[in-house]
Amino acid sequence: MAKILELVNFHYYYGNIHSVKGIDLHVDEGEMVTLIGANGAGKTTTLQSVSGLTKRRGIEGKIIFQGKEIQSFNGNKVASLGIAQALEGRHIFSKLSVEENLIMGAYKRKNSVEIKKDMDKVYERFPRLLERREQMGGTLSGGEQQMLAIGRALISLPTLMLLDEPSLGLAPLIVKEIFIAVKEINREGTTILFVEQNSKIALSTANRGYVMQTGEIVMTDTCENLMANAEIKKAYLGV
Amino acid sequence: MFSYLLVNGMIIGGIYGLIALGYSLIYRASGLMSFVQGDIITFGAYMGLTFYKVLGLSIYASLFLTFACAFALGIVLEKGVIRVLLNKNVMPIYIVLATIAISFIIQNAPQAYYGTVTQRFPQVFSKSSITVFGVTNQTEAYACFVVSVVLMFALHIFMTKTKFGTAMRAAAMDPLAAEACGINTSLSTGVTWGLSAGIASVAGMLLGPMYGVYTMLGATLGRKGFAGAVIGGYGNMYGAMLGGMILGLVETFTAGYWSGTYKNFIAYAILLLFLFIKPTGIFNEQAIQDV
Ligand SMILES: Nc1ncnc2c1ncn2[C@@H]1O[C@H](COP(=O)(O)OP(=O)(O)OP(=O)(O)O)[C@@H](O)[C@H]1O
Ligand SMILES: [Mg+2]
Repeated sequence: MAKILELVNFHYYYGNIHSVKGIDLHVDEGEMVTLIGANGAGKTTTLQSVSGLTKRRGIEGKIIFQGKEIQSFNGNKVASLGIAQALEGRHIFSKLSVEENLIMGAYKRKNSVEIKKDMDKVYERFPRLLERREQMGGTLSGGEQQMLAIGRALISLPTLMLLDEPSLGLAPLIVKEIFIAVKEINREGTTILFVEQNSKIALSTANRGYVMQTGEIVMTDTCENLMANAEIKKAYLGV
Repeated sequence: MFSYLLVNGMIIGGIYGLIALGYSLIYRASGLMSFVQGDIITFGAYMGLTFYKVLGLSIYASLFLTFACAFALGIVLEKGVIRVLLNKNVMPIYIVLATIAISFIIQNAPQAYYGTVTQRFPQVFSKSSITVFGVTNQTEAYACFVVSVVLMFALHIFMTKTKFGTAMRAAAMDPLAAEACGINTSLSTGVTWGLSAGIASVAGMLLGPMYGVYTMLGATLGRKGFAGAVIGGYGNMYGAMLGGMILGLVETFTAGYWSGTYKNFIAYAILLLFLFIKPTGIFNEQAIQDV
């Protein structure tokens, strides 16, 4: 399988703070890959750097998307290449309606008939959003906001979708619902790289995983093997 | 007397509303109070005078060109000064100070050509006065009101019904998410400053025929517009329009029933009252605390 995304010796510096210390990571076409690790490991920094959302001067190393180096691109340019991200903390436009949030997700697309069709698909996938389509984004519950964040990323028709802690602060039942949707999205052909602190659900959903610790990748394997690993069991799965 | 004051209060209130809008848009997009707004009113009045009187263009062409020049000035200001300072991570108060410096530059620049004497803006309409609801006024005063209302309505449509306008609001609400959606937030912020300047310049040009054109024209009006924006809820577009209107009415009625000497006193007393009792303004904007 061809690599769709590759990070080569990627470092990130916030001024003097060396937050990511030379990681190598790749995602193959069609795969679902997870990046797990404790607070402050550098997961968000890594994802947002791929999306062009961190200051470019902090980057060292290469970010390669579909064979092209993109580490110098800013956010809106990366978005137009077909990378969409559902951000950590969801970042819903609070004073735009659910529908307008989705329209913003499709900002780079031109064909409004097609957009309308895909919007209906998002509503089909998350019927709760349909009931609330006129409601302001800020008035949604946490779970609904996460669905909207995923829907907003999905409607740009990305080839690579990045998700940063989709389970953050949500009840187990909603987390399950969301991961079922994520799995479906992957099965329908979108490559996914997601960050999670809930290692259990992450490793049981993805194909492969990377374990990050204080800015470094300390382990990588198939999720099956990671789940069977004694160290992982102890540190991340609590068994 | 009452209808006369009502009509004139609404005319000046419309202008205050336009100016207030500029402050609110900028605050939303950049989280800053720009002192340049007031002087862009002056800039607009002088540009209008230049196009209409000196170059002899039609009033519509003059209006359009004035808007276009101010729009460009707004973008240059944002890209050339504000953005540069923001990228250096300086404290917002220094950026506000920078806008004060620029404000004086723009205020004084027209003197190089026009000197310090107040310039008369030539009459625009052949019919010098008209009567509406029994109130007779300079034709330009009514035109001024019509243009204010049309501009506000156009802006409302642009910001809520077009994709780019919605993107501008989205970028102001959450730049990170906007950028992730593919919105060029740098462009949308620039356009916001451009629009704010464009609106202020039109306000200045509209006032020319009534007040004359002089360097301090914008200074007072800018303060009134700012006060209107606060009263309505700083950062809220509709609050700005309403706040400006209220201020215009209060001021006109004070002058009419009491004394012109006290109109500014009352106007700013209301501003203070709002700051003490309801700092979030009529439209309940939470934004007031950060500069
Ligand atoms: N804007 C910033 N300025 C300075 N340091 C930062 C900034 N953002 C993050 N950091 C630091 O970089 C490191 C990695 O942060 P990051 O947010 O990427 O971690 P994370 O793995 O996503 O953590 P979490 O699981 O809590 O979300 C942390 O030590 C953090 O303090
Ligand atoms: Mg994080």
